[in-house]
Formats: sequence, C-alpha cells, structure tokens
Amino acid sequence: MPSRIPRVIRTNAIVLRHRRLGEADRIVTLLTPLRGKIDVIAKGVLRSKSRMGGHLEPLTLVEVVLAHGRSMDVVTQAQTIDAFPAAHEDLDRLSAAMYLLELADRITVEHAEAEGLHDLLHAALVRLARGDGQQVVQRTFELALLDATGFRPELTDCLRCSNPVPAEEAWWAPVEGGVLCASCARAYTDAQPIDATALRVLRAFQSQTYEEAGRIRLTDELAARMESAMHALMRSVVERDLKSAQFVSAARRARVAGEAREDAGADNAASESDTLDDLAE
Amino acid sequence: MNEGRDPFIPGASSPIARLVEAFHRLPGIGPKSAQRLAYHILRSPEAEAQELADALIEVKRSIVFCAQCQNLTSRTPCEICTDSSRDRHSICVVEEPLDVLAIERTGGWSGLYHVLHGVISPSDGVGPEDLKIGELLARLRDLETEVTEIIVATNPNLEGEATAMYLSRLLRPLGIKVTRLARGLPAGADLEYADDVTLGRALEFRQEVL
Repeated sequence: MPSRIPRVIRTNAIVLRHRRLGEADRIVTLLTPLRGKIDVIAKGVLRSKSRMGGHLEPLTLVEVVLAHGRSMDVVTQAQTIDAFPAAHEDLDRLSAAMYLLELADRITVEHAEAEGLHDLLHAALVRLARGDGQQVVQRTFELALLDATGFRPELTDCLRCSNPVPAEEAWWAPVEGGVLCASCARAYTDAQPIDATALRVLRAFQSQTYEEAGRIRLTDELAARMESAMHALMRSVVERDLKSAQFVSAARRARVAGEAREDAGADNAASESDTLDDLAE
Repeated sequence: MNEGRDPFIPGASSPIARLVEAFHRLPGIGPKSAQRLAYHILRSPEAEAQELADALIEVKRSIVFCAQCQNLTSRTPCEICTDSSRDRHSICVVEEPLDVLAIERTGGWSGLYHVLHGVISPSDGVGPEDLKIGELLARLRDLETEVTEIIVATNPNLEGEATAMYLSRLLRPLGIKVTRLARGLPAGADLEYADDVTLGRALEFRQEVL
C-alpha cells in the first residue's frame, strides 16, 4: 500500500534562517532530523501579537507542528526547546553560531534525511552555549561535517605522492582538500604554506576525541591561522564565499584591536585615530 | 508570472501592461492591486498622473544621504542633525530610515541618529563592511569629545544582536558608553505564548511598580 503523506507532523528542528514573505509572513528554513532541510511558511509571525514569532528565530531548537501544504508546509505551532541563550551573550560565540548555521545550510540539499547533521549541529550549539572554546567547537564541527559528507580532508599524507608530510614542510591546498609535500605543491597554484603548529592542532582535532581536543590551549594568533586554513577549505567545499566566516574573523579582529588599545592606554591621540581607521576597514 | 497580461489588453508591451507591471514590482502589491492602481490612474485626470510622475522623479533626484547621520534627506546635513535643540552627546543607531520615524513618533528621544542601512546578516550576504559603520566611526572621530553614549536600536533578533555587539566591540575601547534598547514583552502580549528568551529578559529587567 502506498504510504500517504500525513496531514500534520510534529518534529524537532533547528531554525537556520528566515526571509520575509509579504506583509507579515515568513519563509523559515528548518533543519529536521528525518526530513532534512525544509522551507516552511510561518504565517503572521511579524505581527507583535504572534504566538509563534519569537520561537522561530534562527539559532533556536524548536518543536514544531507542520501542516502539509501545497508547495510548502505551514507551521501551526512552535515551541522553543532550547534558544541557546548563553550563545547570544558574547560576539565570538554568537558569530561562531551564525557560521555553524550557515555551514549546515550551505552543505545540505533540501528534503534529504539529515539526522546525523542535525545531531552534529545541535551538539556544537550546545557546546558553544555552555562556554567551550569557540575554536575547538567550530573546527571539530567543520571536520565532522566534512567526514559526514565525504569531504574528509587529508592532513597527514601528501594528496599527490601519498608520502607522509612533516608539518614543517606542509602546503595547504583547499581545492584539493588537504596537504601537499613541498615538491608536489609546485604543481598547484592555489597551494599555500601552512603554519606547522596550526596543522598539528588540526591533525589532533581530526584524530582525537572532542574532550581531548578541548584540552589544547590556543592563542589568538594560532586560532586565526587555523581559522583561515579551514575557512578556505570550507569555501571550496560549498563553492561560495561564507559571509559568516568573514564575520567571525572580523569580530575577533575587533576584539583583539580593542584589547590592544586598552593595554596601550588611551593617552596617545595619534594612535587613537589610527585604530579608528583600522577598525573602519 | 503573467502580470501585465490582462485578458483585455492585447500584447504584453501595451502602455497599460507596462504600468501594471511597474506597480506589481512595488512591495506588497499583488497582481490584482497592480491592475486596480493602473486603472485608477487611467480614469483620473491627467494633472493627477503628472503630479505622481513628478513626485516620483523628484524624490529620486533630490533625496540624498545626510553627510552626518546617513538618513535620507533633501538637504545635508539633515534637519535633525542641524536642530540646535537636540542633545549632541548621544546618538541612536538604527537599521533603517523608517526606524528613525518610529522613534521620533514616541517623542521620547531628543538626541541624534545614525542610520546603518541594514544589519549584519551573513545568510543574506551582508557583512559589517556593507553597512554605514565606517561613517559612524568617522563621525565619532570628528565629535569625539562630544558623544558620550551610543544607543544601539537594532531589532531584537539574531542579526540585530550581532550588529549591536559588534558596534559595542568597536566603540567601547574608545571610552564611549554603548547601550541597547530594553527587551521584554510587547503591549498586548500573552505570557503563555511568550518565547523563553523574551520572558527571561523581561524577568531579568523587571521594574518596581510605583
């Protein structure tokens, strides 16, 4: 007997993003465990008396009831399960969360089962919200996401000649998806030398458990190097610029500049306007 | 999309079809409303149509960004920026020009404004460099001794929060106090249906009943 599409389903979902539809409605993009990424219509959520509005913001785990609609399902009820409030309190964590949402959105196709990805994203958001290091959360999420989608990067052996590559001599090839030895790297125009410590930490993140990875201490500078290598890799996998990745970096730069300025003291008027110029870029 | 292909109009390039299509492109105007508007114009006197056309052209030609607050204005600096009765020590930062009107309507703000023309929203491809943040920093550099408080009045959603915190990160080291609009229950709301974040903030920032 052919299975009928049920009229109403109840599911958990992570809200990835939304866009306006007409005067007061929204199209909300949800990541559900069984039906994958779906667009649904939320009617009237822009009205201040809406009973669902606040529950369907991005970065929320919700329980929703969806009524089967012609082109898109319609949300009839929404209840927040977890809004990850602590992730909203700090810009580094908030921008990291936005990045995880955009990655999850860009790497999935609609209506394909995504239970693994849903669980990965949920776990990463919980870790961010409870105050784990943003670097370890983001990098391990990226690596797990790449594993799950068949893009696992090669971090130890050269992609071309398959010989083990010492971290000090490694080149990073985002389009090819991993490291090259110095002699093979000449054949690739996009390959760049990678910082040895950054590569060692990435190797550790790929091979160790999350708990072990979390014990590695990272400076802002090292974090920035790992971040730029992984952002380049993710950009080549999703084949587009990730605006949230740039925002994560911009947020960190602003913090570092602010801290440096506070350390230096606010007595030098000349350096003051320099900082303003730097920040404005 | 078959807008403009009215059964009574032969050919999609007829003047009426063009007008219908032009109306249909406006926000909130569906195909039926577009037709209604087009036929209303057809029936009205030519002077009225001329007035509308002139107003449309004039608004496009004469409205510019205020050099200071970046709001849309017919002269720069705009009326609010040049009003000597306004408090020049505090600037309210908003997302859109319409937000200035909304805050002016409350009558509760006598400081200056700064319009960002958007909000940091990576999923829509908008980053800090796409907003009028550089202009705000340049303005603070000019007025540095004067401005003591920046009120960030972005919307209380993910993008608005991110924008507010990013601005705070840029401005706090300059010794400027950065505040955020309070967040709580809207008038006429129902506790039972309030989301946890809103209700949590409402409790946290509760006020004594006098």
